[in-house]
Amino acid sequence: MDIILKVENLEKGAILHQISFKMRKGEMLAVMGPSGSGKSTLLYNTAGLDQPTGGKVWLRDTEVTALSEDEKAKLRLHRMGFVFQQMNMMPRLTILDNILLPAVRANKEKGGVRRTKAELTAAAFGLMQKLSISGLEERSITQVSGGQLQRACICRSMMNAPEILFADEPTGALNRSAAKEVMRELVRVNREGTAVLLVTHDSGVASQCDRILYLLDGRICGELEMEREAVGQPADLTKKRREEKVNGWLSGMGW
Amino acid sequence: MRQNKLLEGGTLFFMTVSSMLLALTVLLFSTLLGAIDDLMDKALVPDHIQMHCVDNGFGEEGEAAWEAEKAAVAHFAGSRREIREWQICSFLNLDNNSVTLGGSSLTDSTQDNGLCVQGSRFDYLLDLESGLPRVLPGEVYVPVCYRSRYDLSVGDLMVLEGAGDGEDVELVIGGFLRDAQMNSMMASSKRFLVHGDDYERIRQGSRADSSRGKTRAYAQEEYLIEFLLWDGADAGAFAAAYAAAGLPANGPAVTKPLIRLMAALSDGTMILVVFLVSIVVLLISLLCIRFMLLLQLERDRKEVGLLKALGVGRVQIRRLYLTRYLLFSFCGAFAGLLAAFLLKAPLEKQIQELYGAAFGGFRTVVLALAAVWAAEGILLLSVRRVLKRMDTLTALEALFSTRESQTGAGQYRMIGFVAAACAFLVLVPQNLYTTMSAPAFVTYMGIGQAQIRMDIRQTGGAAGTAGQIAAALEQDDRVEKYAVLHTVSCAAALEDGGQINLAVETGDHDIFPVRFGAGRAPIRAREIALSAMNAEELGLTVGDSLRLTGGGKETVYTVCGIYADITNGGKTAKAYRVEGDAPVVWSVVYASLADAAAMDMWMAEYRQFGADVIDLAAYVQDTYGQTLEQLHLASVVATGVSVLVIAVVVLLFVRLIVEENRHLISLHKALGFTGADMKQVYFVRGMLPVAAGVLAGLLLGSLCGESLCGAVLRSFGADSFSFVFDPVQTFLKLPAALLLPAAAAVWAGIAGIRRISAHECCNAL
Repeated sequence: MDIILKVENLEKGAILHQISFKMRKGEMLAVMGPSGSGKSTLLYNTAGLDQPTGGKVWLRDTEVTALSEDEKAKLRLHRMGFVFQQMNMMPRLTILDNILLPAVRANKEKGGVRRTKAELTAAAFGLMQKLSISGLEERSITQVSGGQLQRACICRSMMNAPEILFADEPTGALNRSAAKEVMRELVRVNREGTAVLLVTHDSGVASQCDRILYLLDGRICGELEMEREAVGQPADLTKKRREEKVNGWLSGMGW
Repeated sequence: MRQNKLLEGGTLFFMTVSSMLLALTVLLFSTLLGAIDDLMDKALVPDHIQMHCVDNGFGEEGEAAWEAEKAAVAHFAGSRREIREWQICSFLNLDNNSVTLGGSSLTDSTQDNGLCVQGSRFDYLLDLESGLPRVLPGEVYVPVCYRSRYDLSVGDLMVLEGAGDGEDVELVIGGFLRDAQMNSMMASSKRFLVHGDDYERIRQGSRADSSRGKTRAYAQEEYLIEFLLWDGADAGAFAAAYAAAGLPANGPAVTKPLIRLMAALSDGTMILVVFLVSIVVLLISLLCIRFMLLLQLERDRKEVGLLKALGVGRVQIRRLYLTRYLLFSFCGAFAGLLAAFLLKAPLEKQIQELYGAAFGGFRTVVLALAAVWAAEGILLLSVRRVLKRMDTLTALEALFSTRESQTGAGQYRMIGFVAAACAFLVLVPQNLYTTMSAPAFVTYMGIGQAQIRMDIRQTGGAAGTAGQIAAALEQDDRVEKYAVLHTVSCAAALEDGGQINLAVETGDHDIFPVRFGAGRAPIRAREIALSAMNAEELGLTVGDSLRLTGGGKETVYTVCGIYADITNGGKTAKAYRVEGDAPVVWSVVYASLADAAAMDMWMAEYRQFGADVIDLAAYVQDTYGQTLEQLHLASVVATGVSVLVIAVVVLLFVRLIVEENRHLISLHKALGFTGADMKQVYFVRGMLPVAAGVLAGLLLGSLCGESLCGAVLRSFGADSFSFVFDPVQTFLKLPAALLLPAAAAVWAGIAGIRRISAHECCNAL
């Protein structure tokens, strides 16, 4: 089993207590739990955005928790991607420039692989096409819908071909149809080989993942394995069945 | 309301600095004018002084003529009801080459140094306690401006070589005096007070020199014909009447306002610069405080909305802010006033030395307080205007509308504007100083740009001595070029039928040309060039005609040029030749050497002819040294204030920019940008407007600053004015003086980037 992420006895003040789990390469893992359970805190500390008060986190062989701030920044730049609930795009940049931002920065690294501007732009266009947001390149972030903006965020997070993608409530600020679009793209990204760790309170979103962790009062109280849908199975039947499974499980958890 | 230490600290800083500078201006101005007026009142400075030297010096013929002239003056004085008192004071003009003060020779002095006794009725020379000095035989009281210049103390010796009929005369320095007429170094004469017996001894010794046919007597006697008028008398009409009466007047006439002006100009230049700095800083403060208040209001938007929703009225909300700003204002005024009182002492040192301590007491304190409250009042009015914006905001809008980002161009524009203003403040006084220190500045004094000047004083042999010198110069290979100019006294006819005395310098003016605002130098007979002030007074311009009477002959001259002359009230004239047999009052020879390195030795040689030989650069330095020192001091003050202001403003605004952009900085970090990356970005963003502003300020200072200084100097006779640039100073040192502290301030301002964490952006809504 190829482990991409290992979390060992993670602690963060009074919020997280002795959290331990592993993620396989290419896995899509959801973290669910009631408000204040520490879901987002777990995400930030696992991704190196915050420093835990105890425990360790490894991204493959790299101990994230032992790195300096600058080293963590470089790790996030080259090996991680982020999708935020509030999208968090630069207001003064176009959609294309926002997508290109991490790639342009990575290009300036000494000793790294340099891509030309044309190559970067072509890569961005390719991602945008894949995520069905072609034609929005020169628009500002206020000129697109929430769903389109979130898909642009996904494009941005994929520009440097990360090993793992972290998503904090990626559909939290979206309406149903936009949420569906975004999840479809996230699943696509995952099926292409990128591990995804997402935080959600939406059982429909969680049901599309391979595994779900249930967090309560800063501890993992439950875990649910979801099998991947078989090829040839009708999508809506699969979806309904999976949602029912998750809801049933959540009820048992006391959700 | 939420407190923001940064904004509050910045507001308090600006209020303090604005108050301090305005109060300082008022205090210094009050001190200067008060001291000058006090000294002039105590000394009973005459309203009108006519300088005159007797033709043929000490000879019998001269003495007889002088007695007749004195009688004429007495008759005139008796007929004029506006004269309160009148007197004739004598001034024994010394040979600087033969005088030492405390061991230092006065050879290089460009002043006419002379001896006198105390006036009998007015025009008193006062001691440092503003009393009448008691000069004992063998003592001398020295002008106070020489005390620090020659490092003199009471008890030091003044030695007049050969003054006592061939023997040295030693006088002990009994004290120092303040001469209300001639304190300023711009007044080209200095009076040393001696006992009547010593005066007479030296005078007799000079008469003996004269009777022995010595080329140059030790001392040349001049007279100051002085008039004290009743209050309210028309001084201008009196001057015209004196000129029209054909009374002795072969030297310049000086009036009380001119004396006051020269005194004020010497030391007022610094105050003028401080005033300029205070106005610019007040403007900067207005803008910065307004900007910071807008920022604060933006941050307090929701709180204000909540208060409104709870029923708190707009007047009461405004009062919440005004009360805080009133407190800042009070603290700023107090701190500013205190700082002004502390800072004024070193700046008014020279004023006190020359004119005495004259703290205006209650009046000065009131004026300073008024200045401080004026500054604070302007700032508070601005605050009040900004607070009115809250009136239009409804509770709903305040509570629920999204906060507009302040990261727009506004803050960068502020930084750029302040940088430009500071560069302007630093550049203008410095450029003025560089210009006045430059050798070419003599051209504003009605003098051509020669290396050496030789003055041959008012005796019957002036023209003869000049002729001897000219003959020697003609044969001298070391001389590159020279010009001999004779000054004659003429009467110029006015339009209203009156006349004024005009000292006309004749000779070839093309060899060492002066700065002409219009036209050219006179090159033919019956052409005359006027100084800018003379042209203005006479109402003449190039091409106009002027009737001059010299040596009894009246001739019409054509005005061919108008030139700059900011000395002696700036009223001079130049002609190629004056018709008639007008006596030469004094002669001047200008020369430039092929090899300037040998100048000292060359000058010593030509002193043998009995002329005052000086290095022109030293002459300018001497005449304007006092002003230049004050200007340099003002330049230092302006630079210091500018550096402080730019550092504080840049630090303040960069920190505000970083704070405003916390979310974006955090997001960048979350996406993989390091702290160093973000610091680099914001360092460049901070320095770009600073650099652009400094460049704009340098351009503005060079163009508008030149016009500003030109406008001021025009009132003193400089018809056209342009800065002399020191390129290293202007384009390297001054920008560095601002850019380096600004860079340090930017660096300090962006230090907070390190503390912004990557996960902050995830929490922000």
